[in-house]
Amino acid sequence: METFIQLVFTGLQIGAVYVLFSLGLTLIFGVMKVVNFAHGQFFTMTALLIAVILPFFTAAGLSVLPAYILAVLIGIGASLVFGLILYQGGLRFFQRDLEGSFILTVGVVMLMEGIFLHYFGGVVRAVPPFIEGSVNFLGVNITMQRILLIIVSMVFTIILYRVLGSTKIGKAMRAVSIDHEAAMLQGVQYKKIAFAGFMIATFLGALAGAIMAPLAMISPTVGSDYLVKGFIAVIIGGLGSVPGAIVGSLFIGMIESFGGFFYDPSIANIAMFALVMITLLVRPKGLLGNG
Amino acid sequence: MDKREQQSLAKGTIAVLVVAALSLVIKDGYTSNLIIWMAIAALIASSLRFVLLIGELNFATAAFVGLGAYGAGVVLTILEWPFVIALVFSGIVAALIGFLFGYVTLKVKGPFFLLIGFAFTEVVRLIYTKIDIIGSNSGMVGIFPPDLLAPYYPTFAILVVGIMLLMLYKIENSHLGKTFKGIRDNDQVVLAVGINVHMIKVLCLTISAFASGIAGGLMAFVNNVISPGDFSFLLSTFALAYLKVGGEDKPIGPILGAILLVALSTVALSFGGGDHIFFGIAIVLTVLLMPKGIVGLYDKWRQHRKGERAA
Repeated sequence: METFIQLVFTGLQIGAVYVLFSLGLTLIFGVMKVVNFAHGQFFTMTALLIAVILPFFTAAGLSVLPAYILAVLIGIGASLVFGLILYQGGLRFFQRDLEGSFILTVGVVMLMEGIFLHYFGGVVRAVPPFIEGSVNFLGVNITMQRILLIIVSMVFTIILYRVLGSTKIGKAMRAVSIDHEAAMLQGVQYKKIAFAGFMIATFLGALAGAIMAPLAMISPTVGSDYLVKGFIAVIIGGLGSVPGAIVGSLFIGMIESFGGFFYDPSIANIAMFALVMITLLVRPKGLLGNG
Repeated sequence: MDKREQQSLAKGTIAVLVVAALSLVIKDGYTSNLIIWMAIAALIASSLRFVLLIGELNFATAAFVGLGAYGAGVVLTILEWPFVIALVFSGIVAALIGFLFGYVTLKVKGPFFLLIGFAFTEVVRLIYTKIDIIGSNSGMVGIFPPDLLAPYYPTFAILVVGIMLLMLYKIENSHLGKTFKGIRDNDQVVLAVGINVHMIKVLCLTISAFASGIAGGLMAFVNNVISPGDFSFLLSTFALAYLKVGGEDKPIGPILGAILLVALSTVALSFGGGDHIFFGIAIVLTVLLMPKGIVGLYDKWRQHRKGERAA
């Protein structure tokens, strides 16, 4: 029983990161109808910058909390600037062009991974935990860091749900994702909405990198690993569907947790990819995708 | 066969023979390996382009190259059958699996097909690491061409690649090739004249997989060592870079792109720069600045000159 609870909790924690990740992917697909392969780079950039900057701040005499907050702000800020450049300098011209955007973002992935590798080296970095301590829950020990991760992920998911559900910009985004031409006829400024959607997605990807930094082994290619899982989650849930992204992510988190414990991690990976292929064949639009 | 096609075929054949003859002269091991890599890269990029004729981006190309390489490795080192059979087998095994893969997955298209191909490549690669008889994580070693052929292997590889490329060209210009393009432009019209669109698409993927498999077999014999890591989705990405830089509208595009990028990347490597940065910049700049690749630039230049002459 204890093992079971532990595994469910691990699954939730892994799933929580994938949720942030796949929400970004699904948002970009929804408003721009493109698949952004460079999404993982926001994750990598934030996590790497935090790992590099944090020691500087602590060495300068800042205590853990302000140092961490400052590093996170810088990391997310840098990712947002990168996202801005990526959108304005390239992706803007490839809206609704699946092939072109795919090729462009694959190129960006190779370029960024090469740059990260060149400047930060291939060494795996670790970041000290943000908060110490752990709580006992039904006889299972859970570190505060993991609980914080789940809470942050939940909070931002709820905020996003609220924004999409009841604000003007959120409604505009949903309208654009259903039929962008009809939305434009109703006076929705498509370009602005697409840009806003892309930047929100960038922020979510960067946030995932920031909260995952103390728990992950940070290397220049860490983002790509999460990206692949994020894609799997989005496809299973349904490209462009927000509840689909959440359900898919938690599902993948559970497979990774249970499959990794009872078999081994690569079997869990094979199972996931096989699942993707079956899902696409039986229900190409995913479990919760419309149509 | 019209006159233009005949001319192109003749030119292609001559080009292949000239390059093959040149490779006989080159005695430097590194240079001749470089030529083989270019030839193999051109074949992989061309088979990626071949599926683009039906309008699909086939990211499972890397998986088929891998199947070909492993197929050749198994036949040669485990079954100990002769070299020629191993090479033919590498194409056949990739084509067979390509047929099954296509039959099941070509019912979906666009982003979904692309992502299935991506997932398929990763599954196949993970499966290699689980099978002990083919060396699991460390891969297979000792895949050599026969001693008699070894000194002429570059020439042999170029001839094989040349034949495959000419074959792909021939199919593209045949009636079948026109049907492929019809499916890309509007599959409903093709369906309406009574053609089984699904099976034609499967056939296209099978032919492409065969070419990829042969490329994989040739690759195994030149590298002598293969491991699962060689056949990740990065291989498809590189092929895409060759195709994009060269230009995807004409059959010569992927060949030019492969020759140029393989040559440039060895230069980049000698400067100590990472090839990731290099390929990344190549893809991004090409997509942004010359979406039709080198071939597109050339066509534009020629049209410009024609316009000047007319004026």
